[in-house]
Formats: sequence, C-alpha cells, structure tokens
Amino acid sequence: MADYGSAKKISPFNRNFFNGGEGFTRIGNGSLGGKAQGLALIRDTLAAKFQKNRFQDIIINIPTLTVITTHFFDRFMEQNDLYEIVASDLNDDHIASHFQKTELPAEMIGDLRALIAQVRVPLAIRSSSLLEDAAGSPFAGVYGTKMIPNNQYDTDTRFRKFVEAVKFVYASTFFKNARDYMKAAGHSIEQEKMAVIIQEVVGLPHDRRFYPNISGVARSYNFYPLSYAKPQDGVVNLALGLGKMIVDGGLVWYYSPRFPRVNPPYKSTGDLLKSTQKNFWAVNTGKPPPHDPINEAEYLLNLDLRDAEYDEVLPYIASTYDIQSDRVNIGTTGKGPRIITFAPILQAEILPLNELLLILLDLSEKTYGHKVEIEFAMTFDPRSGRPPRFGFLQVRPLQISAESVKIEKEELKHSTVLVASERVLGNGTLNTIEDVVYLKPDNFDLKYSRAVAAEIEALNRRLMGEGRPYLLIGFGRWGSSDDWLGIPVNWSQIAGAKAIVECTLPEMSIDLSQGAHFFHNISNLGIYYFSLEYSDEYQIDWEWLDSRQVAAEAEFLKHVHLASPLKLKVDGKRGMGVIFK
Amino acid sequence: MAAKDYNPYKTAQDQFDRVAGMLDLDQATRDLLRNSLREHHFSIPVQMDDGGKKVFRGFRVLHNDARGPGKGGIRFHPQETIDTVRALAMWMTWKCAVVDIPLGGGKGGVICDPHNLSLREQELLCRGWVRQLARNVGPFSDVPAPDVMTNAQHMLWMLDEYETIHGARYPGFITGKPVGMGGSLGRTEATGYGLIFTVREALKEMGIKPEGTVASVQGFGNVAQYAIELFTRIGGEVLCVSCWDQEKQQAFTYKKQDGIDLGELFPITDSFGSINQEKARELGYEALPGGAWLEQEVDILIPAALENEINAENVNKISKRVKLIAEGANGPTTIEADEGIKEKGIFLIPDFLANAGGVTCSYFEQVQSNMNYYWEKDEVLGKLDIKMTAAFMATSEMAKKNKLYMRDAAYVIAIDRVARASQNRGWV
Repeated sequence: MADYGSAKKISPFNRNFFNGGEGFTRIGNGSLGGKAQGLALIRDTLAAKFQKNRFQDIIINIPTLTVITTHFFDRFMEQNDLYEIVASDLNDDHIASHFQKTELPAEMIGDLRALIAQVRVPLAIRSSSLLEDAAGSPFAGVYGTKMIPNNQYDTDTRFRKFVEAVKFVYASTFFKNARDYMKAAGHSIEQEKMAVIIQEVVGLPHDRRFYPNISGVARSYNFYPLSYAKPQDGVVNLALGLGKMIVDGGLVWYYSPRFPRVNPPYKSTGDLLKSTQKNFWAVNTGKPPPHDPINEAEYLLNLDLRDAEYDEVLPYIASTYDIQSDRVNIGTTGKGPRIITFAPILQAEILPLNELLLILLDLSEKTYGHKVEIEFAMTFDPRSGRPPRFGFLQVRPLQISAESVKIEKEELKHSTVLVASERVLGNGTLNTIEDVVYLKPDNFDLKYSRAVAAEIEALNRRLMGEGRPYLLIGFGRWGSSDDWLGIPVNWSQIAGAKAIVECTLPEMSIDLSQGAHFFHNISNLGIYYFSLEYSDEYQIDWEWLDSRQVAAEAEFLKHVHLASPLKLKVDGKRGMGVIFK
Repeated sequence: MAAKDYNPYKTAQDQFDRVAGMLDLDQATRDLLRNSLREHHFSIPVQMDDGGKKVFRGFRVLHNDARGPGKGGIRFHPQETIDTVRALAMWMTWKCAVVDIPLGGGKGGVICDPHNLSLREQELLCRGWVRQLARNVGPFSDVPAPDVMTNAQHMLWMLDEYETIHGARYPGFITGKPVGMGGSLGRTEATGYGLIFTVREALKEMGIKPEGTVASVQGFGNVAQYAIELFTRIGGEVLCVSCWDQEKQQAFTYKKQDGIDLGELFPITDSFGSINQEKARELGYEALPGGAWLEQEVDILIPAALENEINAENVNKISKRVKLIAEGANGPTTIEADEGIKEKGIFLIPDFLANAGGVTCSYFEQVQSNMNYYWEKDEVLGKLDIKMTAAFMATSEMAKKNKLYMRDAAYVIAIDRVARASQNRGWV
C-alpha cells in the first residue's frame, strides 16, 4: 500500500482549484491526515485498476479537493497560543469562539484567498486528522465538517465564511466528543493533529438549496446482517440529500449489495411508510442564515420530502403508495405518499449504482487488505442531458477483531445469563465490568428521551472520572438524532460504557440501530453492542438487576455496583453474544 | 540622507527617461510624468517651548494622481530637500502602479530634527503642516502616511487637525494609524511578509524549494524582522543579519552557523533594531563587520536597511551560490551594481515591487477607513498575498517575454499603466 502519510506525493496547490490540471492538491508539507490519505490511495487505485467501460455514461471521480496539511495546524495552534485554551475545561461553544478570534498562518492565507476568489460553488470543509480513519483507531464522525454555500457575490464575504469554517474544523479537534473519544481510544490529545480537506460538494442546484440526489455509505462487512445475508455480504445505506442523514443515524434505506432488490424487513406497508426517510439535508444557497460560525449546521437546511418533490428529484428515487390498492408502485406517477425506496435504481435499474458499488467495494478491499467502508454522493438529472456523476467521498478500513470466540446456542439460555442476543456487534471476551447503568423499564417513555440523555451524561462523567467501565442498557436506538427513535446521546455522553445494550419495550415498534456512523466507531474502540427486541427469545434479567446494590439512582436510570465482575463473550463471526451474571 | 553631490530626483528622471524610450512614449506624456503634477512649498510657524517662534519649511509633492488619490509618507528630517521629496513622490507613483493599486504617488516633508523638538512642538508642527494643506489633501485627493521620523502619534495629530478643520470624521485622510484608531491589522507585518511572498514566488519560478535555502539579511528593523519570521516559516534558514550599533556607531553582522533564531535575538534588540553585541556573543553569535552580510555563502540576499548598499565596490564580493536578491529597502542597489548582478545571472526582485507590501496594506487601511469597517487580519493578509503574487507574476512574465532585467520590467509595467491612465483621462 502506498504511503501518503507525507504530503510530498501530492501536487502542491497552484492557486487554480478546478482548472489546474490536478483535482487533488495540498497546501503545506505536513501530513494529509487519515481521511485524505485514504482518498489519495483510492484515487490511484481508480486510475490504475477501475474498468470504466462498464460505466461509460457516468462520471466517476473524487470531487476536486485540496488539503491543508497538519503542518499548518501546528503553526496555527502555536501562533494563537491555543494550547492553553484547549487545556482548560471550556465547553465546545467557548472553544469554538476562541478559535474564531484567531488568525490563520500568513503562509497559507494567500492560497486560501486565491481558491475562494475563483470558486463559487458549495464547499465542504472536512476534518482529516492524523488518527482519523487509520486502521486500528478510526475517528469517523468525531470531528467537525462544515458545508458552506460559497455563493455570495462578494469574494470578501465568501472568504470570511470559508475562514470561519476552517477554524471551526480546527476547533472540533478539541470538542468534548473528540476528547472523550481520544481518551477512550487510549490516545492523548497531544498526539492529534488536524489536516483540513476543502472539497467541492457533490450536488445539484435547486431553488435556494443544493444537494445530491443520493448520498450513501457502503460497507463490505455488515455487523448486523439482514436475515437473508451473511456479514461478508455487506450493507449499503442510501439517503436523499446530504449524507448527514446517514451519519446522524436518521431513517434511511438499507440493503445488502448482494441482494439489492430485497427490501429491509419491514413488517407491513404501514411500517414501511413510517420507517423510511421523511426529511433530507441540503446546503442553504438562499437567504443567509443568522451568523453562527460555531454551529456546524449553520448553512444546512433540514427539508421535507415535499421540497424534493417540488425540485422534481423524486421520480428517480421514490416509490408511491397507492392507498386504494394498498400497493407500493415504483416511481411517482400516481398520487399518494412518496416513499424513499430507491426502487427506480435498485429494482428498475435506471442506473447501475449497485453494480458500481460492488466493484468499488471490491477494489477498495483489495487496496486496503481489509474490510472497508466507502462514502459517496451521486447526482443525476436526465432532463438536463448532463451525465450522472458518482463522487467518491471517503474510504476507510473496518476493524474486525481476530480473536476466536465460539458460543454455543445453549449458552444463551443458561440460568446465569443476564443478557443474550444473536445480534451483537464486536468480537472477544471481557471480565472487567462491575457497574451497570440501566434505564428503568417501569417509567420509561420516549418523550423523556432528552432528559434521559442528560442523566446519562452526568453519570458517565462520574464513572469515567473514577475509571470504572460499565454496561449500559437502554431502550431504542442509542445515538439517534430523532428523540422518538431512541436516546439522542452523542458519543461523549456514553463514552465510558464498555458494553451497550439496546432493546425495546412491548409497545415500542422501532427498528434498532443498524450500525450507523456512530456505532462504527464504538465497534472500533472494542465496545460490545447488543441488540435485543422485546419479542426475541432472550430476555434481560431485570429482577436480578433490581436486586443489586444501588450505587446511584435518578428519575429514569439506575446505577448498580456488582460484587463480582460480569463475564462477557461475543462471537463476532456468528454475531452472538452473552453476558453472564 | 543623500550624499552632497547625489541628486535622487535626477536619478529618478534618468530612470524614467530610459523606460519612456523603451515604451516609446510621446513627448507630452514624458513631460507630464518626468515632473511633479503639483507641489506645495510652505512655511509652518511654531511657538516653541521657550516662548519664541520658529518657522519650519514644509513640502507636499503630488507626482501623479491619474490612477487614484496620491499616496505617500511625510518625512521629518533636518537635511530634507525638495528634490528628495520629488524623487520619492515619483517612485511612489511607480510603486502603486506596479502592484496595481488605484493610487497615485505623493510625498511630503518638513525640514526639522524631531530629536530636538519636544512632543508639544512636534504636535504643533504636525497641526501646522495640516493647516497649510487642509484643502489640498484628503481621503479622495492625497493621503499622507508615516515615513522617516514620523509615526502613528504624528498621524493622529494630523488627522485630528484635519477633522477639526473639516468638521467631521475622515479616518481615510491618513494612514499608519494605530489599530483601534482607524489603523489596519496586518500593517506591521505587511512589508516584511509582502517581501517574502515575492521571494516564495521567485523560488517557485526558479524551481527551488524554500526548504533548505539559506538567506543573509541586511537590517534588523520592522521589515527585516517580519521577513525573517515568514521566510523561516516557509522552510528557509537565515544565516546572518546585520544591524547598526548606535553605541559603537557602526554596523555589525551577526552570524550563527545553524541559523539565527528570532526568539533569542528579540530580547536583546532595542526598538531601533540594534542587537546587543555582548549578549549576542554569549548566545553563540559571531560578530562580523557590517558589510559581511553580503559576502556569505547563501542562496538569497535580502538588503532591508539602507540605500546604495550593493554598489560597484562590493558587488563582486557576492558569492557564486547566490541566486536571488530581494530588495526590502528602497534603492539598496546602485546602477553600477545592477550591471554586476546581471552578469552574475542573479535573479532580482526590485525594491518598488519587493517592498510594496507596505503601501498595499496602507491602501487597505485607507479603504477600511473610508468604509469605517475593519477587516480581520486573515482578510488583510490574504488580500496582500494575492496582490503581491499577482504583481510579481506580471513583472516576471514581462521580463521573460521581453528579455528584460526584472527592475526594468517592473518600471515598464508601472510607467505604462500610469501613462495610459493619463492618456485615457485626456491629459496628454
């Protein structure tokens, strides 16, 4: 595998972003950071090994980008005396505010100004840290990414917004989420350095908004295989609009690329209607929002499917529910609720997207020698006559433990079992957990999910401070951005948990988490993740838990301290896991 | 100050005549541009601290304002002459034109020695200067700035007098104001940084990476200090720096084999840029004669102190290793030395291009002051880099295309721009 750690193999930015002959350049001589290194590697692989002839009609590339290398991060931090600020206990907003008051190094500022002077399309300002996406310690989704519309007439205004976004990404290196992640991953903050990717956003302009028709994440290994598939069949998540919907764990379409025509296991049409994408994210290219440089979503819009219907993008990605026949028809020809199923592409194959993903996953796997995850975005507008475009946004290796753990099914039903499941993420054994934090089933209601998140955060902080790893048990999807689907925690709020259980209560009709971005990181930190539906044959031993010595109790949760550690085993190959009392 | 028999105005006019010939300018254009457009000579009576009155002579010369309001400093100097002021005003016109900022060239002065004046007397002198010119200078006609022996305090007194006379606030009347009082962020760094932006571009054109290059710098004032800082940051090393020793009344060159360290030199340097020799030696610096900076085995020479420092007598002492000279000072190279530099094949970034970062940032200050809206430093330095880089590229392209020496190429660009502006206005 080529080494892109040093930026020397990448051409320097020649102050010409789109027309300089090079679509991948660098500013500075330091490291490109993990994310950019991955892209550099895959750029070469695509050039050398990708057989384009099967996809002649599609533009397939890495969107034009330049990387500010880590060299300038050091310079920026020193020049503005920021190490003192980040060593203090300031919250994220205060850190971001301090970073906004700084100055970027003079030796890079001319290049940035030149870039902005000639570019008037939306840009993504993305993190690419030294530790990010490195095999063994991926930091996916931990640091900030800021999208800017970059469409103001005046270069000065565009430049100001752009500089604010770069400083925001720098600041995100020290946000609580990132710091906690570093701690849990066994790194110190001093080890981390941030490179910044400046990349064109793949998308199409619509009325006052800009977004891709499809964003997606494809993995060559599925930690939660669907019933008909094996883990190595992989999984693809697709969303309308920007990929934030997938990253945030929102409602999106998912399927195995080996079985593109098989729908996710929805129980009924009603379930399908309820559990598919209702909103999407776009870059706001219309009326400027209130100035808020420390808000990652400052220029993002969360829109309704009706906006996409108005933009005429649904015919190529949606199906329509026909109420009279109780059928779901591909496309948007009839009246009725639209459902984002991507059926025109996956079933009617108006675009060979799935075929392309299988090839790219295979190529990426061979390049890395690992199971991989890729992120992409796609645009197409048949009315315009322009060819469809597939933008390769990111590739990273997936960490899969090699320890051989075998669990017999009988073990799951043993009398000493506290929790057992056949849908478990991770692989290995653990005998160090002496604390359990769990949501009290009797008074839980999803309408209190935000309050629950706050209670967990406080307890997590205390247990982390005392160096006590714990088992966390709760209802619904952990980390969901939708309060009604689960507990809307971010990673830092539960970072001390070494094992996590998500389960449902009898009246809860929620599909549990499918290993979205957030959980990918948990897996790579060696955290075990159990999924357990109320209707499953295995149950949690609540009685035993309730009879333990209570260490702390809040309105919605309880913390019990055990006399002896729990014994945890997870068989990653078969996705089975058990925790013995 | 100029030697007794040296007339800078004649030098400036000779330079102009030569380039006018290259551009084949018509006689009227030559007559217009080889002379000042307007001159003010006046007296400034000041009541001195001892109760007596003293009358000082002051000047303001506007060489040309076809491209925009005049711009240029005010000098307080006992040996000031009108010809010096005329020459400097002309050079300001070319400097503004070569970096393509919409300003003309001006310069002012007062024959005085501020060392012998109290602050009160200096204030009265500043206010008196403005009273004589209040109707002939201003944000849209002629914009003064600090220069030899004038500083931000003098500018504030002048601004206050101007605003008092005109009965309103006109922060764009003058530049060089302190930050927070109408000054611009980045002004302090602008000349030194601007110099290095052009060095960076020159190296790029020569196919040399800045990492590993070694420079020798003459001078340790504001321009040199910021130039050294940025040059080091882009990967270069500065082998030695020369400076004037006030106490010993001679210059010295301080050299360290593994490169000088600004961090250790700053604490032992006074506000005029003089390094304490004893302490420098303690830190491992070698103290060499003042002229030694020119003779070092380096890739880049940066004269950033005085005029006529590279001359017929010492040009042959320049090492064969030197590939680039970037003139941070005004007029550091004599015409004779230029010939030697050409023969050696050394690439030269001429003074009025290399040190134009200062006036460019003054222009930014004036723009901000006129709007009464001030930019972040990132914005100032970003714009500065773009301006300096574009100016360097235009000059270098002109030099290559017409096989010209860089100094000539810069003059051709500047004089052509001003000539065209004057012609387009229908003046000639």
